[in-house]
Amino acid sequence: MNAQQTRISVERATKRFSAGGLTVFDGLDLAVRDKEALCILGPSGCGKTTLLRTMHGLIPLDGGRILIDDAVVSAPRRNVAMVFQHFGLMPWKRVRENVAYGLELAGLPKATTDERVERYIEMVGLRGFERSYPSQLSGGMQQRAGLARALALEPDILLMDEPFGSLDALTREILQDELLRIYQLMPRTMVFITHSIEEAIAMGDRILVLSARPARVRELLQVDIPRPRTVDSVIAHPRFLPLRDHCWRLLREPAA
Amino acid sequence: MTFDQARVKLEESRPMTAHPSRWRRLRPGDWAVRLGAIALILGVWEFFGPTLNKLILRPPSDIFRAFFELVANGELAEAMSQSFRELFGGLAVALVVGLVLGIASGRWRFVYNAIDPLVSALYSVPAVALIPLLPVAFHSIGDPPRIAAVALFAVFPILINTQQGVRNVDRQLLEVARSFNTSERRLWTDVIIPSATPYLLAGVRLAIGRGLIGMIVAEFFIGLVGLGYLIISYENVFRIDRMFVPVIVVATVGVLMMGFVQWLEGRIAPWLKKEQ
Ligand SMILES: Nc1ncnc2c1ncn2[C@@H]1O[C@H](COP(=O)(O)OP(=O)(O)O)[C@@H](O)[C@H]1O
Ligand SMILES: [Mg+2]
Repeated sequence: MNAQQTRISVERATKRFSAGGLTVFDGLDLAVRDKEALCILGPSGCGKTTLLRTMHGLIPLDGGRILIDDAVVSAPRRNVAMVFQHFGLMPWKRVRENVAYGLELAGLPKATTDERVERYIEMVGLRGFERSYPSQLSGGMQQRAGLARALALEPDILLMDEPFGSLDALTREILQDELLRIYQLMPRTMVFITHSIEEAIAMGDRILVLSARPARVRELLQVDIPRPRTVDSVIAHPRFLPLRDHCWRLLREPAA
Repeated sequence: MTFDQARVKLEESRPMTAHPSRWRRLRPGDWAVRLGAIALILGVWEFFGPTLNKLILRPPSDIFRAFFELVANGELAEAMSQSFRELFGGLAVALVVGLVLGIASGRWRFVYNAIDPLVSALYSVPAVALIPLLPVAFHSIGDPPRIAAVALFAVFPILINTQQGVRNVDRQLLEVARSFNTSERRLWTDVIIPSATPYLLAGVRLAIGRGLIGMIVAEFFIGLVGLGYLIISYENVFRIDRMFVPVIVVATVGVLMMGFVQWLEGRIAPWLKKEQ
């Protein structure tokens, strides 16, 4: 596939919640290219999670359509995996079983499942914690498990809903670096939602800035900072401050 | 797939719904206080009880002696085998009925609407008032109506707690399961049943206490047998020392069975005790 090919295409998408007649977005258009990391940046409550849930087919649209690989999304697919802001681990499953969860549901042979579980637990740095329950782990460790669970499926598309949004600043930066490292090993199409400008610049090849509700596309920015990246190398890059100031202005000023 | 918010409110304040317990291990100091308190009460009772009312407050040493008398003459063993048949039969019925109806009504609105009025009505009527009807319903004054009485007392905490457990399943986890393409069967085994288990076990602990009450009351009203018979017959002849023996047996059985369920919870829901 060539690098410019569109994997996800959101066309005039409209979503309302009947409770309170809330319009979350109305006629939203966007396209996610193959193997790019697209960050979606917007203020809290603007509808980022809702957009991601519709892209995954977890909730239906009220208008327009979303295509993945030219097929209309109506339910979650096996080649798309999601990482949740709330981690979404099963408290009664040990780390190992949580990571194996998607693979078991996909019906992969046990040998494949075991091999992948081990590989991805290693990759996210959870070796030694296979037999722990989520409640015994810190938030950062829990999200490592959430990440391993999604990566283990080796999906074509990763949907990340503010995966580090509930972590403390230090842990958050460590995990951002880990994800940059993993992304470098296995580049894949990724939609990464965040309300942090720094995170959007660090993680994204492009940044889609959304307005407050009803969410509209304020601007689509190219992040011209080369990979491989680390959080430090991004912050030190001369393009970082201009990009950050630009995003700040977009988020702060009301749309013209 | 999930229930709308309006439904969740309805049952929130049912007094019978216990919260799932967190496994708490007692420390040696706790045991010392517990045993000390029991010893103190028994000591006060032993030495001052008889001075208050010689007839009713028989000292623990008399009850202890009565216990061995009833063991020796076989009355206690006979009564216990009768009573336990009713207790375990009734609890088994309550468990099956409570689980099936609790799961079904927690999951499907139709079943909930179908059984909720009846459950609310039966739960509001003091169960004791229904016991005299049971021999008529079963055309019997044997074990079946007494087993039914135990089940009647015990079923509601199991049913209501299971229903709550199924209904309180974390919606976010239901969505995670859908996100990973769960099947309906795996949704039950991965999410709904584990999440309802602590509620169910809390219900079983309540059911044991209520089942024991149901057992004794049923033995008073239906046929006069078992431990209930021992209580009534020795009370009638003012052998209060002997009357206390079945009372203490019932209390001990209750404590042991609830402790067993607590232990079971640590075994089948180990993630709860690992919580920090
Ligand atoms: N299931 C729902 N029912 C009704 N309103 C909802 C639901 N989910 C989200 N909303 C509302 O939609 C808006 C966008 O929510 P969300 O997508 O979670 O925002 P974000 O992720 O950008 O913080 C919020 O106002 C939220 O209250
Ligand atoms: Mg969100």
